[in-house]
Amino acid sequence: MATPSRTEIISLFRSLLRSARQFPDYNIREYTKRRTIDAFRDSKTLSDPSSIAAAFSDGQSQLQIGYVAWTKIQVVVNDVLIKCASYIATVIDCRGARDLSRRKPFTEKPP
Amino acid sequence: MASKIISATIRRSLSPRTLPHIRPLSTAAAVTAAAEPYDETAGISMKGVKISGRPLYLDMQATSPVDPRVLDAMLPYFVSRYGNPHSRTHLYGWESDEAVEAARAQVANLINASPKEIVFTSGATECNNISVKGVMHFYKEKKKHVITTQTEHKCVLDSCRHLQQEGFDVTYLPVKSDGLIDLNELRSSIRTNTGLVSVMAVNNEIGVIQPMEEIGQICKEFNIPFHTDAAQALGKIPIDVNKWNVSLMSLSGHKVYGPKGVGALYMRRRPRIRVEPQMNGGGQERGIRSGTVPTPLVVGMGAACELAMKEMEYDEKRVTELKDRLLNGIRAKLDGVVVNGSTESRYAGNLNLSFAYVEGESLLMGLKEVAVSSGSACTSASLEPSYVLRALGVDEDMAHTSIRFGIGRFTTEEEIDKAVELTVNQVEKLREMSPLYEMVKEGIDIKSIQWSQH
Repeated sequence: MATPSRTEIISLFRSLLRSARQFPDYNIREYTKRRTIDAFRDSKTLSDPSSIAAAFSDGQSQLQIGYVAWTKIQVVVNDVLIKCASYIATVIDCRGARDLSRRKPFTEKPP
Repeated sequence: MASKIISATIRRSLSPRTLPHIRPLSTAAAVTAAAEPYDETAGISMKGVKISGRPLYLDMQATSPVDPRVLDAMLPYFVSRYGNPHSRTHLYGWESDEAVEAARAQVANLINASPKEIVFTSGATECNNISVKGVMHFYKEKKKHVITTQTEHKCVLDSCRHLQQEGFDVTYLPVKSDGLIDLNELRSSIRTNTGLVSVMAVNNEIGVIQPMEEIGQICKEFNIPFHTDAAQALGKIPIDVNKWNVSLMSLSGHKVYGPKGVGALYMRRRPRIRVEPQMNGGGQERGIRSGTVPTPLVVGMGAACELAMKEMEYDEKRVTELKDRLLNGIRAKLDGVVVNGSTESRYAGNLNLSFAYVEGESLLMGLKEVAVSSGSACTSASLEPSYVLRALGVDEDMAHTSIRFGIGRFTTEEEIDKAVELTVNQVEKLREMSPLYEMVKEGIDIKSIQWSQH
């Protein structure tokens, strides 16, 4: 891609910091903020346009992953647990009816 | 009807208000630094201890948090691409297999090996078992002797004890007071029927880095397979299997900010080292370790290794700075602080300190707001001091008061400062109560006292 402009770089920096703030865990939040600032500071001295473009696209891909994982988890876990709940409920229903008819008194030893 | 009630209760308890893992986690440091929107004002009470928030995590040698980038790489393989990598007949299997092979290449890159030399296992303990017992059982006709050190991980020592019961000879090399082995002793204990030398790269309790290249040279000279447990070293110090001349290397996923339950074993192909498999079954992983390869965990370990390669320099610089801050902060306020293990050949993120004239159990009980460890997690269940410190020649009383601070990628300056403050407070409080410390302050030499028998 073409060399990113100054405004594009600054807007990427701001979006990365904004996404870092959303992490619920203190350690990960602080690390993401610090790492973004340090990474941008270290690549300030890059002059070769292809390396600038590479660093920029690297930063963009970091924006895609990272905080998205945490928000994804909440949606996925919610979804999975709700599905599990209805599945477990149906299993208990069927099992209960079958076992009650078949169960022998507790005096007998299980096979 | 009962099912309807059950599903209704579950649905109610799942509403976003009450799902526990959405609530932001507040640590003790964050409570002091900034006001959190969701304050757990009641605090946490567990096992009879009440603390104001979650403790600061300074125990990176026990395990490390999973990096969000690693978690992101793993999620698709839990949610949608959940195939078994050994299913050859459909897309689910093919894409899983592709992911496993990509992860294998990522792990191999970090240690400068070829992907064909990596076998995925369930962790470094399994790798150590395969290496020690598997190699010796394979070559048991000719080779009857194993050389290892006194400071190895419990799984290696236990495997060696198992071999001893089967009739093999094991030499446990002593270490010097700085934790490093003596190369001349290693050389002199090599026999013609030595089958394996096992020395861990970075010790999990004291953090010393053994002279791997020199040991590799000695093993090459005598043509003996060299096994190393590099679980703590992976991603922290540069590893090169050719420079170190290792034949077998155990790697662990959860020490490099990856998931728990996965590890990798490096096995050299030229010259080929053969092992007897400890897990028999369908011949997966080239017959060395049968069993379905856990795709999401393996993908996580691969992503963690790739990240470690990119971030090694940055992390090392930062961890060294934080270690200096911690050590100088404690030394500025306290005397009688001893660093266990060599200070030169050491990984900075592992700081094992002993505080003189302080009782260890009470120090740990007072440091409940900081998650640290005394000794390693494997041995902390028993009351005796760690065998590693005993091997270093540390006095019993100093060995009891040792604390291991583990600093990692995610540790912040505020956490270090808070840990310094809490440690100094606790040690000063205990020393104030200690009659031994009073005697030392008056100038009496503790060692010269004749304690009377009652």
